[in-house]
Amino acid sequence: MTRLFGTNGIRGVVNQDMNGELALGIGKAWGTYLRQTIPKPNCAIGTDARLSNHLLKSAISAGLLSTGCDVEDIGLVPTPTLQYTVKKKQLDAGVIITASHNPPQFNGIKGIANDGTELSKDVEEAIEHIYFSQQYTLTDWRNVGTFSTWNDAIDLYVKGILSTVDTNSIKKCHFSLVLDCGNGVGSLVAPLILKKLGCRVTELNCELDGTFPGRNSEPVPENLTALMQNVPEAGASLGVGLDGDADRAIFIDENGTYIWGDKSLSLVGKYITREKKGGLTVTPVTTSTCFEDVIRQNEGSVLYTKVGSPIVARVMMEKHAVFGGEENGGLIFPEFQYCRDSAMSLVKILEILAKEQRSLSELIAEIPAYEMLKTKIVCPNEKKERVMTQVIEQMKQSKDVVTIDRTDGVKLYMKAGWVLMRPSGTEPIFRVYVESKEKQSAEQLTRFYKNLVESLIQHA
Amino acid sequence: MCPIMKHAISKQIFRAYDIRGLYSKDISPDVFYKIGLAAGTYVKQTMQGTQIIVGSDIRQSSSPLVYAFIAGVTATGVHIQHTGTTSFGQTLFTGGERHADLIAFVTASHLPPEWNGIKFYYGDGVGFPEDKLMAIRDLVLGDTFELASWSRIGQVKSVDARTDYKNFFTSHFTFKKKLKVALDCGGGSMTLSAPEIFTAVGLHVIPVYCDPDPTFSKRPSDPKPKNLTALVDAVKNNSCDFGVAFDGDGDRAVIVDNTGQILSADQTGIILGKYGLKKNKGTIIVNVECSKSIKEQLEPRGFKIKQIQVGHTFLTLEAKQEHALLGIESSGHLILPEYFLFDDALVVPLKIAEIIEQGKKPFHDLVTMIPTYPAKKEEIECADEIKFDVIRRLTQQLVKEFEQVNTMDGVRVDFKDGWVLIRASNTSPIIRLTTEADTSIILQDLTTKFLTKTQEIIQSTKATA
Repeated sequence: MTRLFGTNGIRGVVNQDMNGELALGIGKAWGTYLRQTIPKPNCAIGTDARLSNHLLKSAISAGLLSTGCDVEDIGLVPTPTLQYTVKKKQLDAGVIITASHNPPQFNGIKGIANDGTELSKDVEEAIEHIYFSQQYTLTDWRNVGTFSTWNDAIDLYVKGILSTVDTNSIKKCHFSLVLDCGNGVGSLVAPLILKKLGCRVTELNCELDGTFPGRNSEPVPENLTALMQNVPEAGASLGVGLDGDADRAIFIDENGTYIWGDKSLSLVGKYITREKKGGLTVTPVTTSTCFEDVIRQNEGSVLYTKVGSPIVARVMMEKHAVFGGEENGGLIFPEFQYCRDSAMSLVKILEILAKEQRSLSELIAEIPAYEMLKTKIVCPNEKKERVMTQVIEQMKQSKDVVTIDRTDGVKLYMKAGWVLMRPSGTEPIFRVYVESKEKQSAEQLTRFYKNLVESLIQHA
Repeated sequence: MCPIMKHAISKQIFRAYDIRGLYSKDISPDVFYKIGLAAGTYVKQTMQGTQIIVGSDIRQSSSPLVYAFIAGVTATGVHIQHTGTTSFGQTLFTGGERHADLIAFVTASHLPPEWNGIKFYYGDGVGFPEDKLMAIRDLVLGDTFELASWSRIGQVKSVDARTDYKNFFTSHFTFKKKLKVALDCGGGSMTLSAPEIFTAVGLHVIPVYCDPDPTFSKRPSDPKPKNLTALVDAVKNNSCDFGVAFDGDGDRAVIVDNTGQILSADQTGIILGKYGLKKNKGTIIVNVECSKSIKEQLEPRGFKIKQIQVGHTFLTLEAKQEHALLGIESSGHLILPEYFLFDDALVVPLKIAEIIEQGKKPFHDLVTMIPTYPAKKEEIECADEIKFDVIRRLTQQLVKEFEQVNTMDGVRVDFKDGWVLIRASNTSPIIRLTTEADTSIILQDLTTKFLTKTQEIIQSTKATA
């Protein structure tokens, strides 16, 4: 179990638990790790637009350089732009300084492997081990790394994005969009791409600002109210809202309705499997059944994984999946790269609209509707495993339960829908997800399992 | 969450004029992160400042150090303007133009490539004095830093230190005669400015070690006479009008005349004073180690010669206060405040070229017109614990014995035909004895006499210690 790295890198409040000393140490640990197998590693480093980005970038760079790694600074970039650069330029590693959608007082460090994907847990553990034991291998003065800057990452990335879609079909449509970048680094890429695709764009919060004055950075409905209002007012075909480091995109239909991430995931999955006449797709156990429904309709299959985009990406790579992603707007397109990518999601949705010649609300209406309820149950960490085992024991007897799945926590499939209880890695809670066709039965299931789990916790 | 640093920081790296140490032994990114925290804290608390400009010389180990320093400074909420890899003058000039509160330059000057360090200047070009540097040291050793909250973290801006600096020189110097100059940058940081600027002002450059060479593989970065054989040969073989060698970062220039004779800093200073100044009234600053020929040559021309203690920080500060025209350090730092207060060595050869262009005679004739006196430098071993006490006791004795005793820096005794200076080294367990006299016989006498006196005091001090 890693102590510093969470689901998405290391995060913390700047100058408190996320400070220069930690960043310097992580740079040294990572450099030491890289140098175990590569004589002169070349690492890209980039940041989002937070106010502390230079502090952390400088500290990590100093650490990497002191172990003999070369550092190439690609400046302010979306996370997927850095990932693409690492893969395309065949670098040995990448570092992105970002706390994604967290509030502005946070910042973080995320590591990228040479294939452009986020670091695996094994590598993160190895880096942490070096960090905590301080077994750094620092070079003498002769062999310290070289620092350089490279300003063409965004250009490279935009060209790459545009090469994956049918730009002519999109251009012919002259789409009108409202774009809300949340003052994050998406501002450097999304307006540029949309312009090249002949779209008419109304920009909201598209100026870089590390205090995020426009809205909170996470693209959840309460943060996108202005966007939802603006789309019908502007007579736009759609709206799109990005998170702080532009790996996730959330869409708004022409009526100003928020489209949940599993709906957009399903729409794109449907389109891709239809084109490819099937194929494997990958998504975490928390994703709505609507995704599996549309994939199966198109002769495709779904592989469920633990929660976490790095896990989804790695499984996709191993299994040669055609598509994958999460229900939070993080979509992964393997023909481009194995990571969540908001710009890819955006151009793909535009391509679908162009080819289908129908409105976004119509296309979304074709995705089967499910009712999903999410809740939390407080449970001491040491009781979690025992409680899960007891839930399984009890449910084995139940005639309602069809399958018990232990990919991540306990997922019970039944005729009426499914129930998932996942122990949180950071808090003493279970997250409980319930999905059913009907709202009423979702509520019933939630009540039943909440009661069951709470009584098991009491007696455990 | 963070493991503490394994090794304590050595106090020895904080010296009178700068911070220096062996890379990966005494100094490291960890140490420079703390120096950055301390410098930022100092600028914020003591200077009520907001900006530090930083650059580094071409040493191989500069990049991890400068980025660690930047991380430390920004963590305190002080902003950084980063000039990148530059010569000393490029960063100092840019710092002045941009009104930085503090200028920091990562360098170990003329030391071998395994060394590195950092030195500070105020935004106006005055060197950062020892007591202030010790205040930064105390912040580092005491771990007393003022960190900023997330919304006030310092920002970093990359700034170009080349263009305006070059334009400054092209607007002040243009040569019509195609003077031929042999240029020896020793592979150091001056490779980043001198060849380009010399050519831009119209000089014909014969390059000697003008490609960046961070390991100083061609010659040591100290431009001592014994390291300048290639330059001397280049001057002679190409019939150059003169030659110049710089140290590793570019705060010292050594001039070679058209015959290949290497000039001392005092000789160069005298030539600048005699032929290079626009005014002939005003103050020239020299330190107590400088040759008496400076006074003899320049005082009759109307200049006031002011003697100060050794150290370029004093030189810059005194030059500012006295509105001086010229400053001469016998170690090779020369300042021409008409251009800059700080000791950018690039201006020295350009001024020499101007003098050669305007004069009718070959440069060597100007050099031979300056009398040189025999001089000696002796080092006497003396433990750090007693060296300053020895100087104090010696001073007490000499004041009684002689008329002209100067205690500005160590103790100096002047005679009508010579002088002697005895100082404790700031950095090594050594007492230095410098003598200069009209003839070598007098010189030998003076040297022997004062060596003996010093040895006696060392013995008696040891005995009582």
